[in-house]
Amino acid sequence: MAGRRAALKAVDWAAFAERVPPSQRAMFNALKTRNDALTARLAALPEKPPAIDWAFYKANVAKAGMVDEFQKKFSALKVPEPVDTQTAKIDAQEKEAAKSTAEYIQASKARIAQYEQEKLKNMIPFEQMTFEDLSEAFPETKLNKEKYPYWPHKPIADL
Amino acid sequence: VLHTTRPLHTTQQSLAPVPPLPEKGGEVRHGLIPEEFFQFLYPKTGVTGPYMLGTGLLLYLLSKEIYVVNHETAAAACILTVIVYAIKKFGPDVAAFADKLNEEKMASALAMKNDTIQTLQTAIEEEKKEQWRAEGRSYLFDAKRNNIAMLLEANYRERLLTVYNEVKKRLDYQVALQNLKRQKEQDHMIQWVEKNVVQSITPQQQKESIAKCILDLKALSKSAHAAV
Repeated sequence: MAGRRAALKAVDWAAFAERVPPSQRAMFNALKTRNDALTARLAALPEKPPAIDWAFYKANVAKAGMVDEFQKKFSALKVPEPVDTQTAKIDAQEKEAAKSTAEYIQASKARIAQYEQEKLKNMIPFEQMTFEDLSEAFPETKLNKEKYPYWPHKPIADL
Repeated sequence: VLHTTRPLHTTQQSLAPVPPLPEKGGEVRHGLIPEEFFQFLYPKTGVTGPYMLGTGLLLYLLSKEIYVVNHETAAAACILTVIVYAIKKFGPDVAAFADKLNEEKMASALAMKNDTIQTLQTAIEEEKKEQWRAEGRSYLFDAKRNNIAMLLEANYRERLLTVYNEVKKRLDYQVALQNLKRQKEQDHMIQWVEKNVVQSITPQQQKESIAKCILDLKALSKSAHAAV
């Protein structure tokens, strides 16, 4: 398994923190504390345990063969590496997130296109408009002369 | 200047959007006679020309009785005086008031338009910001993967350490056990030897050793006196 020395990717926490929206701050803080706890725990453990001084024990332990037996079994012992079950899930999550992000960005761009109204920016100033120009620029102000043929061309309640 | 000659759609190029109407109308003198008339007569008759013309015309009308002075004239004179006085006095205020009404309408419309533009601007900014935020998701997954890797590594190291500790404990126990046994044997031996030695000191030997001690002490005291 090629996982034992999987290099830890440096995470720029400052940049990460910038991108977190305020609504998800709590989750971010939880993640960070967990990360810090794990880092501390890892740093506290030595990479290899110190070597056992077999010569000393061979000289001092009276029981014959006990030290030899221990030494043989110790060198033969293989500590199993913990199996990584979660990385696959994380990768799947990442793909999901990539997809949903793409969708969100699409929707966001559509919204931006909606918001970007050239009409308001390129309008002639109000001082130079006639009522016709106003009806052109803002169709909702157009008076409906077919439905209400008599002045003021809209129901009295709307005045 | 009278804008009778406002050029609109005179050439092929249509003048659109139509340029705005001028703010003020043509200039007039005495509220009645346009300035162009005075300018028209100026080259020939100078500054006083139109006034002379006006006076002459008025006198002609009166003297030839083309305009007859009657009751209406008096009424007209009074009414016109009052009207002119009123306009001169209250005219500017009324004009300002009307202008203000219009200004307010314009200002509110403009404010509405500006606010809308502003809101849309901020909305666009917000959207862009959210997009930028969404791009940072890779950090999240890197952090998660780091966590997992660290957890695995920590577990593995802990296991190694446990194995080492256990084996060492057992070996140390054996060594300590042996040491303890040896020490106990030594102590017991010493005690037994001492006990036997004490027992073997017979009363005869005791007297002899006490006499020897006294002799030794006397010798010592003599040498001690000499030293002092």
